[in-house]
Amino acid sequence: MRHLITANVNGRERELSVKSNQTLLEVLRDDLRLKGTREGCSVGVCGSCTVLVDGKPVSSCLMLASNAEGREVLTIEGLARDGTLDPVQQAFLDHQAFQCGFCTPGMIMAVKGLLNENSKPDEAEVRDYLSGNICRCGTYVEVMAAVADLSAKPE
Amino acid sequence: MSTVGSSTLRVDGNAKVSGAAQYTADIELAGMLHAKALRSPHPHARLASIDVSKAAALPGVVAVVTRDDLEGMNPHYGAVVEDQPVLAMDRVRCVGDIVAAVAAEEREIAEEAIELIEVEYEPLPAVFDVVEAAQAGAPIIHEERFETQAAIFREQLNLNAGGNVCSVFRAADGDADAGFAEADEIFENTYRMPPVQHGHIEPHVATAVWESPSRLLVHTPCQNAVGLQEQLARIFNIPESGVRVVVPHVGGGYGGKTHARLEPVTALLARKAGRPVQWVLTREEVFLTGRRYGAFVRMKTGFKRDGTLVAREVEVFYDLGAYALSGPANAKTGSYVASGPYRVPNRRLTTYAVYTNLPPAGPYRGVGVPHVAWAYETEMDRIARHLGMDPVELRLKNLLQEGDVFVTGESLVSVGISDCLRQVASGIGWRGGEEQGNGAAEGSLRRGKGLAVIMKSTTTPTASAASVRLNGDGSVMLLTSSTEMGQGVRTCLAQIVAEQLGVPVERVTVSAPDTDVTPYDKSTSSSRTTFHMGNAALRAAEEVREQLLEAGAEALEVDKTDLEMFADGVRVKGVPDRSLTVPQLLRVKYGDSVGSIFGSCNFQVKGGLDPKTGKGKAAAFWFFSACGAEVEVDVETGKVRVLNVATSVDVGKAINPLQCGLQNEGSMLEALGAAFFEEMVFEQGQPVNGTLLEYMLPSMQDHPERFQSLLVENPHPDGPFGAKGVGEAVIPAVAPAIGNAVANALGGVNITELPLRPERIVAALAQGEAGGSGKNQP
Repeated sequence: MRHLITANVNGRERELSVKSNQTLLEVLRDDLRLKGTREGCSVGVCGSCTVLVDGKPVSSCLMLASNAEGREVLTIEGLARDGTLDPVQQAFLDHQAFQCGFCTPGMIMAVKGLLNENSKPDEAEVRDYLSGNICRCGTYVEVMAAVADLSAKPE
Repeated sequence: MSTVGSSTLRVDGNAKVSGAAQYTADIELAGMLHAKALRSPHPHARLASIDVSKAAALPGVVAVVTRDDLEGMNPHYGAVVEDQPVLAMDRVRCVGDIVAAVAAEEREIAEEAIELIEVEYEPLPAVFDVVEAAQAGAPIIHEERFETQAAIFREQLNLNAGGNVCSVFRAADGDADAGFAEADEIFENTYRMPPVQHGHIEPHVATAVWESPSRLLVHTPCQNAVGLQEQLARIFNIPESGVRVVVPHVGGGYGGKTHARLEPVTALLARKAGRPVQWVLTREEVFLTGRRYGAFVRMKTGFKRDGTLVAREVEVFYDLGAYALSGPANAKTGSYVASGPYRVPNRRLTTYAVYTNLPPAGPYRGVGVPHVAWAYETEMDRIARHLGMDPVELRLKNLLQEGDVFVTGESLVSVGISDCLRQVASGIGWRGGEEQGNGAAEGSLRRGKGLAVIMKSTTTPTASAASVRLNGDGSVMLLTSSTEMGQGVRTCLAQIVAEQLGVPVERVTVSAPDTDVTPYDKSTSSSRTTFHMGNAALRAAEEVREQLLEAGAEALEVDKTDLEMFADGVRVKGVPDRSLTVPQLLRVKYGDSVGSIFGSCNFQVKGGLDPKTGKGKAAAFWFFSACGAEVEVDVETGKVRVLNVATSVDVGKAINPLQCGLQNEGSMLEALGAAFFEEMVFEQGQPVNGTLLEYMLPSMQDHPERFQSLLVENPHPDGPFGAKGVGEAVIPAVAPAIGNAVANALGGVNITELPLRPERIVAALAQGEAGGSGKNQP
């Protein structure tokens, strides 16, 4: 069974025909071909598929696409503006906060969500908030440094 | 030097933070089908019958393959022993063995079709414990063996050892029995390390399409594009040039993507379907596809009262699982270092690679070394404690030194291990013997510090080839089959080429592996790329440089030696206005400013060991590393807080210090997971924790409160700019350093079996050293 939904994806209103059992991740990757959002575990524990829904991080492998009705979905592809990277992306580059890069879009979206909620997190809050985003390459110190850098900047 | 030695930002950075980087699962080919496999639910069974008629009739199913489709092929493959069938033939040997596979228009249809396949199994006796499997009388897992195609393995391994023992390797020095007789004391203990996951967040995945009956194109995140090309060519009976393997961005490998895993089945489906097929494994399937060997280690050490080691005997059993992959070679890598980076005049070291009815293992960062390091470094602390010696002093007394002759008979060069040990000792504030007792006690909290040192070889002999292409506009391309999987190889190789040509690193592009275009490379493994491919790239760039200088000398009418390179071309030394740009040099060389200048090199390191004597040259270069850790243990709950970890590696020369640090951080964290909680659990061959819900990977919460990556730069005479490898150098030292820190926090109670789960710590404390099977026998 399919549902017709309307959602704002990366700033653009989209009318989408989605299956009842289709996840947001599947719609993003298979239908909208936004491949920057990646599947790692399919059970919501690795964080690779993190996107922002109404500004909050969500594991898109666990969210049914039909629940995106009327909501704002932001993926890694929606961050850069006019060819300029988002400050979080730039901070990841500056601090070399990644290696293989597979988990990076999810990690960046989680950092966006963190800073949306708390613009000056301390280290314990950063560790707690980002503990659902696994980087097997182990590049955590650099992610923490990137977040510290971002939160030190004047708003 | 301007570029080499600087922490240049990654050349692939922008693609990775923008989300534009394409990984294999992101590739969609026109008409592409989706694959799914039917896997064995039995650890060992005869395959009586397979009926796929209902699956094949399901609308949307395009191809179903079983053993009946292997006709006319070479159905067995394997890196060292050709023991793995593309699809199960007469029997299945582990849970997860692939029995049949389906390609369908949609993933859901493929999943539904799998449910319609009917299989009759006749269960066979199975064996899961590696030591039991090695005994005579254990159920035999491979009735027949197929010889390897790779001469190097035939010549350098002892295969077909009998029963389930796939291979055995021995190294020896002096007279072990005489050494034990001469010893003041003898310790004898056993150690265990369980299987763990590689944990690459990108699952195994492949996309295959046949462009003609003798032309196969495969996209896969493989660490070994050329090796896969050779294997696929052999399986399908076509020339190697008929197989094109392309490696897109790779979402982590750590050894888990070194060998053919799902590519043969994907290619078989694509051939039968006559359409492109993509297969992305689920995480549950990844757990059944690869892992680190579990191992059992028996260690006997004879030493003098002053701490001098005089004899050591080690036996190691590595659990390969159902298929060998590179297991025999990896077990060999564990053998000659099984007594540690120490001078031991009398030793007898034996490693066995043993089949079991568990899902296949394969190389994982550190290959056979973490297992033996866990044993010998725990043992060193026990000896130190027994003798009342400072563990640092005991190690320094016995450590190998520059120029020492190793058990393999080779002289060691670039041996920075004592410096590594001193660096980590300082990094964790090691003050001496007091760390041996109870640390600062506060309520139920106890602190302890621990250290460990290791050595490891890089696979030898091997070859790497590279081509450098200088374009008419002065930009440079390096063609290489080395896989960028996060370790920063593209950045490192770009730096080496840029340095040699005197151009900014931004002007150098490094290819992805594409076997139609990029030359031979043994594999991106064994931390060999900086050294081997770095040397090939350096020399290929040197050829380009020579051609530019020759053209410049001709045009400027000076001697070649009077010229130097600058960013845009060549110029006369000391006379900057007498210069020629690259387009001008091309005009001199070719009469036109279009074209390109090529340089190439096939860099080869000879060597290898005689399998009868264990003597020869084991390594093009040796890794030496150390780790120090400080922990706080809650003795009531067994919970451990990791306060500080310092690692140190002798890298020869850090081409990019920042990326070296990231490799060490990654190694440290993977090992920390394996030290505290990672463990694949099987019951009667069935996975118990085969998803990322039950099997945890270290998160940011698990990262030590403080981490330091320290480097020793002891230039290697044969390395590019003196560089060695770094990727896996740290990993074997971490678990024993942590284990020793925990033991010191507990007042001298060593646990011999990983992981150090809270309940194991509490139990060990309650029972003295009963947490493992080990018992000191003075």
